[in-house]
Amino acid sequence: MSHVWTIAEQSKGKLRAVSFELLSRGRKLADKMGTKLCAVLLGANVSDESLQELIYRGADEVYFVDDHRLENFVVETYSNVLSDLIRQYKPHTILAAATSSGRTLMPHVAIQVTTGLTADCTELDIEEETNHLLQTRPAIGGNIMATIKTPNHSPQMATVRPKSSRPLALERTRQGKITRLALKEELLDPRVQVIGYREDTEEFANIEEAEVVVAGGKGMKKAENFTLLRELASHFNGVLGASRDAVDRGWLPYPHQVGLSGKTISPKLYICAGVSGSIQHLAGIKTSEYIVAINQDPDANIFRLADFGIVGNLFEVIPLINAKLAARKQKEGE
Amino acid sequence: MRYNPVTPVNIEELKQILGEKNVFSDEEKMEAYSHDETNKQEYGHMPEVVVTPTTTAEIAQIVKLANNRLIPITPRGAGSGLSGGAIPIFGGIVLSIEKMNKVLDIDYGNMTLTAEAGIVTNDINALIKDQGLFYAGYPMSLETCYLGGNIAENAGGGKAVKYGVTGRYIMGLELVTPKGEIVQLGGKLTKDVTGYDLKQLIVGSEGTLGIVTSATIKLTGLPTAKSNLLVLYKTPKDAIDTVPVIMSRGTIPTSIEFMDKLSVQTSCDYLNESLPYQEAGAMLLIEVDGINQEQVELSAEGIGDLCMENGAIEVYVADNYTTQERIWNVRRNIAEAFKVVSPVQSLEDIVVPIAAIPDIIPELEQISEKYDIKIPCYGHAGDGNLHATLVKNPEHSMEHWREIEPQALRELYAVTKRLGGKISGEHGIGLKRKKYMLENMDPVELDLMKLIKKAWDPNNIMNPGKIFDLETRGSI
Amino acid sequence: MDIIIPIKQVPETSNVKMDKETGTMIREGVVSVINPLDLYAIETGIQLKEKFGGKVTVCTMGPQSAAKALKEAIAMGCDEGILISDRKFAGADTWATSYTISEAIKQLGSYDLIITGERATDGDTGQVGPGIAAWLGLPLATYVSKISDVTQESIIVERLVEDGYQILQMPLPALLTVVKEVSNPRLPTLRGKKKARAYEIQVMNAADLQLNEACIGLKGSPTRVIKIGYPKVTRSGKIVKASGDTGLNDAVDALLQFLEEKELI
Repeated sequence: MSHVWTIAEQSKGKLRAVSFELLSRGRKLADKMGTKLCAVLLGANVSDESLQELIYRGADEVYFVDDHRLENFVVETYSNVLSDLIRQYKPHTILAAATSSGRTLMPHVAIQVTTGLTADCTELDIEEETNHLLQTRPAIGGNIMATIKTPNHSPQMATVRPKSSRPLALERTRQGKITRLALKEELLDPRVQVIGYREDTEEFANIEEAEVVVAGGKGMKKAENFTLLRELASHFNGVLGASRDAVDRGWLPYPHQVGLSGKTISPKLYICAGVSGSIQHLAGIKTSEYIVAINQDPDANIFRLADFGIVGNLFEVIPLINAKLAARKQKEGE
Repeated sequence: MRYNPVTPVNIEELKQILGEKNVFSDEEKMEAYSHDETNKQEYGHMPEVVVTPTTTAEIAQIVKLANNRLIPITPRGAGSGLSGGAIPIFGGIVLSIEKMNKVLDIDYGNMTLTAEAGIVTNDINALIKDQGLFYAGYPMSLETCYLGGNIAENAGGGKAVKYGVTGRYIMGLELVTPKGEIVQLGGKLTKDVTGYDLKQLIVGSEGTLGIVTSATIKLTGLPTAKSNLLVLYKTPKDAIDTVPVIMSRGTIPTSIEFMDKLSVQTSCDYLNESLPYQEAGAMLLIEVDGINQEQVELSAEGIGDLCMENGAIEVYVADNYTTQERIWNVRRNIAEAFKVVSPVQSLEDIVVPIAAIPDIIPELEQISEKYDIKIPCYGHAGDGNLHATLVKNPEHSMEHWREIEPQALRELYAVTKRLGGKISGEHGIGLKRKKYMLENMDPVELDLMKLIKKAWDPNNIMNPGKIFDLETRGSI
Repeated sequence: MDIIIPIKQVPETSNVKMDKETGTMIREGVVSVINPLDLYAIETGIQLKEKFGGKVTVCTMGPQSAAKALKEAIAMGCDEGILISDRKFAGADTWATSYTISEAIKQLGSYDLIITGERATDGDTGQVGPGIAAWLGLPLATYVSKISDVTQESIIVERLVEDGYQILQMPLPALLTVVKEVSNPRLPTLRGKKKARAYEIQVMNAADLQLNEACIGLKGSPTRVIKIGYPKVTRSGKIVKASGDTGLNDAVDALLQFLEEKELI
């Protein structure tokens, strides 16, 4: 029986959290088919401890292609290496993260190895008789859930949104095999060079991977008012998001944009203020675990999707929430 | 002479008529009925009791009671007015028509619809859309406003160039007079000279002559296609000079909106939109509608050609939703954008003969300079109705603003009058512009209005203190 | 600089109404427009042309009615429009679509750059751009937020990643998928509209492209939709009103209690 693979991700030698989330998804599928789960990692300077953690979090095997030229993600080389591994090991299923690299790499690989790919799956399962991967994803703005499979091609490939599953607990007794592989020279594509990296301001919005996102909409009135939300987000170690209206007005830059024309997110907690809730915005937050909305208009669409809503003036409500959260913190500190 | 206060006995009487749940007098609930969209601090006033009747008969009984007891009564629609018309400045009873929102009759044979006055204007269109029909007399705040309020203010809006204003579509009315009688005015007739046209007197009377409980409106074929042009000009004069050219050559646009440079820049900055406005001194936003997209686009192109022949710098075409939203967003957000610059402002809606628009721009600039405030000028060029808004300079104190606002307004109105205009085109006089109307109106005309009011409402209990004051009861 | 921009026509969804019962969109009467995220690709292409000369060709795979999207792009300033249209293309997934479009691009002669939008707002996969690059063997940069430098042979771009911007240099021809930050789309002018009206869209079908029939349409698509579900997306949460001082205080307390119960604080 061929294996289930997950594509782990690293940045500067450190594993990204999404690598472990993928393993918890992959574990279920591998168990259902009674096969092995393998994590595949491309990179450089990754410690043994990190590789071991992949085992502790659910992998039976780890393939690590270790080369300094794989330190940065470059799709051409990554795609060559992964396609080569696929041809060699013939995995049954591959799960990758719906991140900037996963979303770039996987469609490229799908063409190279001639198989299907389903983006942004929210549910994955194995069809009993055929062992086909059943991939369910929201389509048309979350209005329908489509279940997709790849009946006649192999491997079965899907990308999964970050934060849409929890990593398995660290189990230090788990045993597994770590295989280090060398980069084959002929797979290196020298055409694209990474010549720099620009980190953004301290509050760069990695809204797709954040546990808590605090977003503002048109009702925030102006950019300066986002200080209120920044403070609120800080209480949760969350990051700032914004509706399209707010981004269009230049109050926050595009990486913060939540919704169909921005990012689709699945945080544990989504708090939004002054967001009316266009269909497009709602489609982007539907898979959040909890949604809290604060809006002046009791008929605002956002309340239909909220687990908790406050109808009121956000300029009164948010400062009070901030004050109460700060008071709690102080009390706990005492 | 003074009005009588609303006593606990009166409240009991009202409850007898309406039932417990349609009468309330607790402060917290009544607060929402103490103001409209004008500044609450400046114009708001609490009622003594709020009633929400559900039938015409109930309204007649309430009005009779108020008339007998000399209690003022203020009819109220959705509360989205911009002149303070629904504010109960003498306290008394606020009569909200919010629970009267039924459609009574849709008559496809006569292309009419009869509905109670509390129906949301937009809901009418949602209801008849599938039949390919629409009600064209709606104003801009169509998401919230009521038909009754539209009739009281003779509401206009952005599409008046082609479709006219509310009055054009009102065929019949049911009215409760200030004495509490019920009367049917008009009907489903296209022609009717059987005596005075009282229904048209009611249209735009701001609730001072009675309470409209239902209306029969004329329906029109629903336009399904539209195309927009955004036309850039060097000067406001170039822009306005094109308007009669467009109007005289065939296709009548649905709207011709005018925006001066200051309006466009402020709105674009607010929206972070980068319309190519740098060199443009003014813009026109022109909309054409119809039932055939191809034809509509050709008509729009024809108008675009006329604009280019008449001094436009550039014409942009928006014939799909994405681009249409972009340019209309700029127009719609002007008021909001200035609120961010300075929340204190006086939103005006002067109306002048179309050809006088270029002449008023330098005058506005002068007033703006003199008082060191901004006066963006935008609005419905196609019908001469301009929102020349006085925006408080954020660096000025409130005291200073209160001092200069009436002076600047007076100068604005004086210029308007000199150019053959009037002080309000669609928002109404209400409370806010009462004193300015008094200063600007022919005394004979004003007297005639007062005589009508006295004849209809001898005790002056129906929305007193609006449009003008009477010398007897109810003057402040 | 010759540029090819594959675009998609999508249903316009930003003004659709919501079904009050289910919270899903009412698709009746929805019109078609250029995928809003493709407008940034079109604008970027036109700006590069204006700077370096050359021509911009816009292409789309879709039904005959998708010609309207091509004309809109031409009205904005693109030079040529190619409609890749055939009944046989129906039902194509991203694999078959990227194959078909890349074969059409091969017919268009030489080019320096292919630019696509980040993804389409209807399918929401973002897989066709990278797929075309793979089929054509072109260097690829996804999520491009800025074009920093262009020479005859190479291009330097910034791509938006999770925690910053990666700066890439690559030779031409190459394929870029761009995000909103890259440009601000212009409006079509009257002159552009007239040009587009007179322009005759070139249509390519399966036979013109001599495609491998096993790789196109539904038949050529590795993936199959096997089930469609209509999830009810409304949640019946608790809504409280914060009016008056006590109302405000109570509402915030209730929220904190909710967060506590869910172990969010």
